[in-house]
Amino acid sequence: MIVESSDQVARFTLLKRFPVPRNFKVTPQSRIEKGRTWPAPVGASRVQAFEVYRYDPESHRNPRIDIFEVDLDDCGPMVLDALFWIKNKVDSTLAFRRSCREGVCGSCAMNLDGTNWLACTRFISDMSKPASIYPLANLPILKDLVPDTTHLFAQYEMIEPWLHAKTPTPEKERLQSPEERSQIDGYYECILCFCCTSGCPSHWWNGERFLGPAALLQAWRWLADSRDEAKEERLNALEDPFRLYRCHTILNCTRTCPKGLNPGRAIAEIKKMVIERGG
Amino acid sequence: MDSDPTVHIDPAARPRPLSPNIQIYRPQLTSVLSIANRITGVILSLGAVGLVIWLGAASAGPRAFGAVRGIVGSWGGQIVLAGCTFAYFLHLCGGLRHLAWDTVHGFELRTIYISGWAVVAASIGLTLAAWLASLFVAG
Amino acid sequence: MAVIRSVRRSPLAIAMGLGSAKTGAAQWWAERVTAIALVPLTVWFVAAIIAHSGSDYLSVISWLRSPLTASLMVLLLIHVFYHSALGLQVVIEDYVHSGARFAAVIAVRLGCFGLAVLGIVDVLRVAFGGGPG
Repeated sequence: MIVESSDQVARFTLLKRFPVPRNFKVTPQSRIEKGRTWPAPVGASRVQAFEVYRYDPESHRNPRIDIFEVDLDDCGPMVLDALFWIKNKVDSTLAFRRSCREGVCGSCAMNLDGTNWLACTRFISDMSKPASIYPLANLPILKDLVPDTTHLFAQYEMIEPWLHAKTPTPEKERLQSPEERSQIDGYYECILCFCCTSGCPSHWWNGERFLGPAALLQAWRWLADSRDEAKEERLNALEDPFRLYRCHTILNCTRTCPKGLNPGRAIAEIKKMVIERGG
Repeated sequence: MDSDPTVHIDPAARPRPLSPNIQIYRPQLTSVLSIANRITGVILSLGAVGLVIWLGAASAGPRAFGAVRGIVGSWGGQIVLAGCTFAYFLHLCGGLRHLAWDTVHGFELRTIYISGWAVVAASIGLTLAAWLASLFVAG
Repeated sequence: MAVIRSVRRSPLAIAMGLGSAKTGAAQWWAERVTAIALVPLTVWFVAAIIAHSGSDYLSVISWLRSPLTASLMVLLLIHVFYHSALGLQVVIEDYVHSGARFAAVIAVRLGCFGLAVLGIVDVLRVAFGGGPG
């Protein structure tokens, strides 16, 4: 009932999904059809079913849900291991992004049992039966579990995530006290997996103009950095009814961050800074 | 991504599907309380119209006031009033929670969840208390 | 909503849109200030309504007639409708993306303004009126 950190998996569910029609506001090309079921290999004793979203851009068919029965004795403990097992042993056409397998690169971000997380840091034993694996929510899909994150990265680029300095480059470093450096703790660690932005209902409805928690958290990271000298320009760029103020403190972002960061608080800090300078 | 030569953008090609969002995303205390705050806000806006009607009846005279009173006192009216009372307390407690967030306090997940459940409990409790008090006063 | 990649506009251009409006803080602030005012005002109102459950017309009117009640009522109406207009505008901006958005926002703002004036006039009629009715 009380969630202490974002890696806590919900044990008790009153509602698995919001009470909207299955294909609520879904475009015709996004409607999900039934796919095929791939049964477990003969002799497997510990079997877990995975419902996986599939889409083949070359097939001219709609996305579908395939059900894979995975032999847990033949596969590692994390959901990413299950995906590899499926790709290696059952269906090699399954496409998904992955790299570090230890929760630091952000590649394998996807929607697991209804919430966004990294596949490599989610235990299969924490998944429901059957487990459901969808791509990150509300993104155009290139293939299977691979979303097109171009727009999200463009929004990140737009907040200019680099040091703006007007004073000339010093001989050595730009100095910063430990207290000043601690101001960016909790924000610099973002791995840009976009679990937060993809889980934000406000970004679902207004994602073209609303920057979303990931970009705004990074915007705050640069605003909080004492070495940065472009606060005025950054705040001007952010103070917009859509770019910043579509955030209604829903806080799905903080709940879902696989690194335990707090985009909700970062955005509240930005709003506070805007008011402090006169609004 | 942009300069990736293997991803061709053909405007005439079949548009890409969009991954499901509200259709599959799990409702959590965060999103559920947030939409509840919005829904109760809209309900209270309608309630404000009711307030103006009530004031209009008060200024129009005892007959008009009695008529409005009768509607409010009917079974349907009382159910609507009970709903509005709950909506009011939920929006009030949720609003106070929002005001605390605006001062950048209470953003730890543990606090978010404790304050969230506190809002639910307080709203139910205050609604019951208000109605019990009203019954007591009316005799 | 989906952002369709375009051969004409770069992803950065799509994200930048028409640029930052450089406003928005004033509405956000007004929504919060009215909210803070509404906490005591609505608590007073709800408590007063409970205290007058079962009261007859004359006692309600004499309560409304007192200068303190009339003033608080006027303040309540102003703040409720201002907060409501701001909140409903945000709701419309969130969900309505066609040109109908402007018409809806205008309708909500004017409607709230009109209802507030109507309510205030009713309160003043009772407060300054000679006798009931």
